[in-house]
Amino acid sequence: MTAHVELRQISKQYGAVRAVLPTDLDIQKGEFLAILGPSGCGKTTLLRMIGGFVMPSGGTITLEGQDVTRLKPEARPTNMVFQGYGLFPHMTVAQNVGYGLRLARVPDEERKRRVQEALSLVHLGDFGPRSIDQMSGGQRQRVALARALVMQPKVLLLDEPLAALDLKLRKAMQEEFRRIHSATGGTFIFVTHDQEEAMSLANRICVMEGGRIVQSGSPQDIYLRPQSRFISRFIGEANFFRGQRKDGKVTLENGLSFADAGKDAEIDCVVRPENMGIRLNESETLPADFDLQIVSTVEEVVFLGPYTHYKLATQNGERIIVEVRDQGQNRCAHPGAKALIGWRSRDHTVLTE
Amino acid sequence: MGLDRMIWTGFATLTVLFMMSPLAVLVLFCFSESPLLSFPIQGWTLHWFFAAFDRPGFFTAFQNSLIVTACVGAVSTVIGTLAALSLSRMNRRAAGSLMALLTLPLMAPPLLLGIALLTFYTSWVDVPLGLHTVIASHLVFTQPFVILVVSARMLSFDFATIDSARDLGASPLQAFFQITLPIVSPSILGGALIAMALSLDDFLVTFFTIGGNNTLPTFMWGMLRRGVDPSINVVAVLIMALSLGATVLGFRITRYRG
Repeated sequence: MTAHVELRQISKQYGAVRAVLPTDLDIQKGEFLAILGPSGCGKTTLLRMIGGFVMPSGGTITLEGQDVTRLKPEARPTNMVFQGYGLFPHMTVAQNVGYGLRLARVPDEERKRRVQEALSLVHLGDFGPRSIDQMSGGQRQRVALARALVMQPKVLLLDEPLAALDLKLRKAMQEEFRRIHSATGGTFIFVTHDQEEAMSLANRICVMEGGRIVQSGSPQDIYLRPQSRFISRFIGEANFFRGQRKDGKVTLENGLSFADAGKDAEIDCVVRPENMGIRLNESETLPADFDLQIVSTVEEVVFLGPYTHYKLATQNGERIIVEVRDQGQNRCAHPGAKALIGWRSRDHTVLTE
Repeated sequence: MGLDRMIWTGFATLTVLFMMSPLAVLVLFCFSESPLLSFPIQGWTLHWFFAAFDRPGFFTAFQNSLIVTACVGAVSTVIGTLAALSLSRMNRRAAGSLMALLTLPLMAPPLLLGIALLTFYTSWVDVPLGLHTVIASHLVFTQPFVILVVSARMLSFDFATIDSARDLGASPLQAFFQITLPIVSPSILGGALIAMALSLDDFLVTFFTIGGNNTLPTFMWGMLRRGVDPSINVVAVLIMALSLGATVLGFRITRYRG
């Protein structure tokens, strides 16, 4: 089966700057895909190439089997929600949403019905006659979404759709996006630098770095099996233990060792803070399956509501964060106290790049 | 009201009064019976209006002023707006230097500009002087204002509106006429009004480039040479009323909101 959207060796170069290196990407119908990366990684350029706003330097873009690489934005069956939304300030909400249909010469009655449907979908059913400057940030976001959705795009493109909203509104809109995605069954591609947003919305994440896709997979995949130091740092928090692998055995600089197949190399052993355990009282022990254990010194205890972050240092100076769901009962642990920390070897990832 | 507040209010009032006083005097003397421009005003009359309108050449000058102003307004607005739109699409540095180049005529003293243009028309390209040379000359110093006003607006222009329009199916031309133009039209109109006001008022450049004709300012100058009487105020007030009327009308049309 061919994919809904196919990018083949697509690339973009601005003078000497290579914004996107030749990239392949298949997107299936109905997918909610996040392109995740730090600013300047080429993610927005990639999205704009799919929308037709940036002409690729090389490669092809196919949509439902049709080559759209050279098509102008107005000729593509894609629609985009822009960062900053790009709403028309001299039109009402309904005129904004109906603009595309008017250009397509959809008859008045049908246009009105479809505009109303789109506005209802984003819960703005009564806001049609309002002017844009009467709308709040979150409402504008939804107008922009309705304006794109009313065109029934084959692919909906979203450029940092939630970046301009405050935290609470962002959470609410994430839920809206999930609901609208399942209600329309459309193919959504969105660009973000916020890993949490990517995790909560997408059913697949492509991580970009330096103009290329460095890992692509489900949120669980990316989080639990990062393929590089960059990805493990970028997505969530991570502890790094430096070490050597020789003859199928890893020896960490802090003295711990375990068996690990692979060729001899310098490695990083990555452990997520929530996979680590801690014992502050000498009389207690870590569970038996925590096979890697080491004594460290507490440097700081940060209470974060549902959980507590213990920041520690090992004897060889590695900084470690341990996340515990204990709501701070152990806050008596003062800086300078010795603590036993550990993890299960099945919870870590050994990286060589 | 505290003392400091009273002092500031007083200062502001005096400043405004000082700025308005020449205009007030100008208008008052239009209706003064005495042919001398002096206070106190002895009696009131409309005589000077008829005197001004009856002067030979007045209506030709008036008509010429209207033609020049209208042409300069239209041409400098179109060219200036197009220039500002392209500048806004360029990178900052290129736009900055080009803008400096385009607004250079503002730095030249009008007297020198007038002489230079006269030399240009007579010794370089050898065209007969007339309204067309006045119009071309006025474009030199009115266009920069249109460019500056529209460029300032474009700094805060949301280019995502154009991208959105294209995305929703608009051709480049449709996006320009349906989105860009309506959004920036108040600034374009503002620029046009400034250009027209400057053109209507101009004496120096017109004086050198008009040849044997007259516009209202050069007509006034001719009147001055034959002795001052209040009918000159009438012409001045007429110019003022035209500028003011056009501005008010313009703001009405676009419902300008700042």
